[in-house]
Amino acid sequence: MSYKVTEENNISTVYLDGEIDMDVTEKAKEVIMPLIEAKKEVHLNLKDVQYMDSSGISVLIESHQKATELGTKVTLKEISKSVLKVIMMAKLEQILNLD
Amino acid sequence: MSQSQIINLDEKRDFEVNSSNLKHVRSFCREVFEKLNINQDLKDELVLAIAEAAQNIVKHAYKNEETEDKMEIKISVSNGYLEIGFFDKGRPVEKDKIRHRKIDDIKPGGLGTFFIQQIMDAVVFKEGEKPWINHLILSKNLNN
Repeated sequence: MSYKVTEENNISTVYLDGEIDMDVTEKAKEVIMPLIEAKKEVHLNLKDVQYMDSSGISVLIESHQKATELGTKVTLKEISKSVLKVIMMAKLEQILNLD
Repeated sequence: MSQSQIINLDEKRDFEVNSSNLKHVRSFCREVFEKLNINQDLKDELVLAIAEAAQNIVKHAYKNEETEDKMEIKISVSNGYLEIGFFDKGRPVEKDKIRHRKIDDIKPGGLGTFFIQQIMDAVVFKEGEKPWINHLILSKNLNN
């Protein structure tokens, strides 16, 4: 997994790239969580994520819950077909902010 | 899809038990499923189910501990019936404790087993024959 972070209008966008599994979830959290803890609005761009398993889904849930707790928001952007399928299998499409 | 379109095969591979090998587990599965005349969505689901089961071996049978042990994954297709065997030498699986979290209880974790059960027709835990400790069998009828 690789990533890129951009800032615009007080929104941090994290572009994730590659496959997100148990081996890279800590790295993903290290990138995303400090932005949420800084109470920034975070967009996670998932267009280049070709695979996500239950560990990756856990990162999305944890990010969403932390943001809600701190009064900010995480929005999933340009979700790839394969990731959307896993989100729907987990029945999270009504819980997470999908755009 | 009729079973006449699906070839028979029998392939197995060993993987060192650690999270960095999960990508190699997925590559092996993709390589095997490429030989089968099944649709891409089903291939992706099967790769996810297998990777979740392999992840459970790393997380639960070995508690993420460093080990030189290997797990073996065997993929067999016969007459359109898919069977995937997982063999490991970790802690014995306590079958009664295996359950996915309630799906409406939104919290991180506990989804891997749910995905496996959603994708596969049957999930069976057996005691492994020596030298193995655990033997998990996932199966699915590809003719449906």
